[in-house]
Amino acid sequence: MAEPTYTVASDSETSGVEKSSSASQEVAIGIDLGTSHCSVAVWNGSQVELLRSRNQKLMRSYVTFKDDTPSGGVSNQLSQEYEMLSGAAIFNIVRLIGRVDTDPVVHASKSLPFLVQTLDIGVRPFIAALVNNMWRSTTPEEVLAIYLVELRAMAEMQLKRPVRNAVLTIPVSFTRFQLTRMERACAMAGLHVLRSMPEPTAVALLYAQQQNVVQESTVSASEKIALIFNMGAGYCDVALTATAGGVSQIKALSGSAIGGEDMLQNLMHHLLPNMDSLFSGHRINEIKSMGLLRVAIQDAIHKLSSETSVQVDVDLGNGTKICKVVDREEFEEVNKNVFEKCETLIKQCLRDAKTDVEDVNDVILVGGCSSIPKIRNLVLGTCKSETINTEMNPWEAAVRGAALEGAIASGVSDPLGSLDLLTIQVIPKSIGIRAEGNTFVPIINRNTTMPSRKDLTFTTAHDNQAEALIIVYEGDEKSVENNTLLGYFKITGIPPAPKGVPEINVGVDIDTSNVLRVFAGVLIPGTQQPVNPFMEVRMPTVDDGHGWCAEALLRKYGSTVALVPVQKKIQQ
Amino acid sequence: MLGSVVSIHQFPHMPTSRCWRQKSTVVRCCVRAEERLRTKKKKKKKNYYELLGVCVDSTNQEIKEAYRKLQKKYHPDIAGKKGHEYTLMLNQAYKVLMREDMRRDYDASIGQLRVSFGPDLGHSSWKGPFRPQALFVDENACIGCRECVHHASNTFMMDEALGCARVRVQYGDDDTKLEVSVESCPVNCIHWVDREELPVLELLIRPQPKQGHGIFGQGWERPKNVFMAAKAFHKQLKQEATHHQSNAQETVEKETPAQAEARENASMKLKMEKSSGIWKWVYEILGQ
Repeated sequence: MAEPTYTVASDSETSGVEKSSSASQEVAIGIDLGTSHCSVAVWNGSQVELLRSRNQKLMRSYVTFKDDTPSGGVSNQLSQEYEMLSGAAIFNIVRLIGRVDTDPVVHASKSLPFLVQTLDIGVRPFIAALVNNMWRSTTPEEVLAIYLVELRAMAEMQLKRPVRNAVLTIPVSFTRFQLTRMERACAMAGLHVLRSMPEPTAVALLYAQQQNVVQESTVSASEKIALIFNMGAGYCDVALTATAGGVSQIKALSGSAIGGEDMLQNLMHHLLPNMDSLFSGHRINEIKSMGLLRVAIQDAIHKLSSETSVQVDVDLGNGTKICKVVDREEFEEVNKNVFEKCETLIKQCLRDAKTDVEDVNDVILVGGCSSIPKIRNLVLGTCKSETINTEMNPWEAAVRGAALEGAIASGVSDPLGSLDLLTIQVIPKSIGIRAEGNTFVPIINRNTTMPSRKDLTFTTAHDNQAEALIIVYEGDEKSVENNTLLGYFKITGIPPAPKGVPEINVGVDIDTSNVLRVFAGVLIPGTQQPVNPFMEVRMPTVDDGHGWCAEALLRKYGSTVALVPVQKKIQQ
Repeated sequence: MLGSVVSIHQFPHMPTSRCWRQKSTVVRCCVRAEERLRTKKKKKKKNYYELLGVCVDSTNQEIKEAYRKLQKKYHPDIAGKKGHEYTLMLNQAYKVLMREDMRRDYDASIGQLRVSFGPDLGHSSWKGPFRPQALFVDENACIGCRECVHHASNTFMMDEALGCARVRVQYGDDDTKLEVSVESCPVNCIHWVDREELPVLELLIRPQPKQGHGIFGQGWERPKNVFMAAKAFHKQLKQEATHHQSNAQETVEKETPAQAEARENASMKLKMEKSSGIWKWVYEILGQ
């Protein structure tokens, strides 16, 4: 592909030449790939347009494996829920992707009506669909790729042009490893991920556009601080953003893998306490009952948003019948832990942004769970606010933001200035290396503005140590085991010296496309000159089964190639 | 110790990053852009204020606005990959200047004196980047005709209390407008001055309260010839600096009487010990 020519959008200089060049360029589409639903949008030259499949803006995210050809939720018209129960459909993929079988989220997914098996040894879980009474194993990447191929075909049909580039929205709590799995799935479907943006930051971009229209485009227009709360089926994200003159500056992000799915499971367990033992065999009839229960309870939760109580009446087919009235208080009591976690996330975000609740001008609530009354009350209560921004469509905000970002990052400029926008992103998780035994030493802290580059100096832990292992982790826990391993490499040729003398410089560089690079090298003491050329590695480098990797490294090398930080970073 | 830590973290993009750039085999941006960047670096290292195009005593709000404006131009989302290095510098500058403690340390490191005046006390702000020349109104000569405000309203303002014009924003209007307004002044009191001169001139032109005797002679005054006063001010500054230095040297050399006494005592003791050693030795010889 030819190098795209970028045009700098400025307020006054938009000539006709630029317009024609931007029209010939490929505009990246925005994809909001959610746990339960998915949507696609694109900048059509004057505004964002949502692409419809069979006249629906929202498509369910699932893939059914039937006979030889799997088909996804884009093209396939389900004879509705029934097929979801047959065991042939794989869904909730975004929650499973890039997780190892020791992950609690994977364990919680065992009640899905298909096969999720774990061995608890740190490898990828065994996921399979039931096809002709036989388990057909698959991976989350494969499922996503099948889905994305259909999505891309649909987009190409409607846009009447090839679609290559996409902006993907991702949950805040995604690790970089999970992100690479997503990117791999996209690559398998022939899509290049131009940008991946955390979901609330996509919403922030859309908010910046809305504010821009309201206040006219002046940078000096009053700054507005907005809290964005996004909760879908699989993830909950919070962002705090300061917006002025079309620039949305993200101040802090927080997120966790909790969502509607957890509420669903809590209620399932509440109504059928022996659920896990009932369905442990994953036989066909068991799967069917599991699916029936899931659909019934999903309906009940939806109804509880508008009604104060609901009748759950379901025959599981194996002699078990559930017939019970669930009221809103009961539902809220059962999901107490979920709501508490949401509150913690909002508070953490405010704390990280060093912003008082009183300074928040606008509260934005998006995502599938935003219609749950308890969530609304909780967000308003925590933000000490009276009203929720009504201009955001809870289902479309993220994908619209992604489409805007797609247009901006593709170099499109709009003569009317509606693309005169920018989101200044932050990194959601700290990046650092292992040093001093099992301590995680962050090099770039979370919520640092992107692009970002920083370095720290380390030294050897042993006399005459000739090699050092740079093990890169992502996360915010003190001990490395609780963070995510991203990769490792060895630097050699450290001149023989007593421990503590050699200076080893480790740097981290993150650019705006969220590409992470780690640099390391030995410095000649006293000078800033490297002994050998610095090694530059793009991360993450680990593949599947990385749960094993850290352990194996430890067993093989122990502390013989360990590092010690020279100076502690000043805590921000 | 703390100082060294701070200094290392303040300039992460300086020496080490440059050697990464040279040694790294992966070419991240087009070669020409990198070359240009390097020559720019060699030519002149901009300080954070120049980078953001704000004046040294600008408020956080002004810094924020300048930062966002520049981000809109150079952010890699808009400018492409070549914006990466520049945005890194912008982020670093913004981070330092937005935090009071880091900004103070940084000011000290670049030798800038940020006098914390009120928000609007006669110092002009800058629109866009710093330029070598700046506009200055000699308010002693100004007759308050409002001609300049009329021609370049974004640059000049009237001080209604004093009845004279003043520069509010340097280069607030385009060059032709500025030229016209300078020409239009009937008493030629608008001057182009060096940027370095500007803060002192603007400081001295402010009327200062005058020492009075009883009820006589009180009021406000300012130097009759502000340019001469500025020269004198600089001279005084220089003198003070050398004076301060010599003072510092003196304090190093001079020791307190107590210290002198202690030193005296110590040397005496040493002598005594030596002589007692000799005597001991003599006794031993004699004893044998």
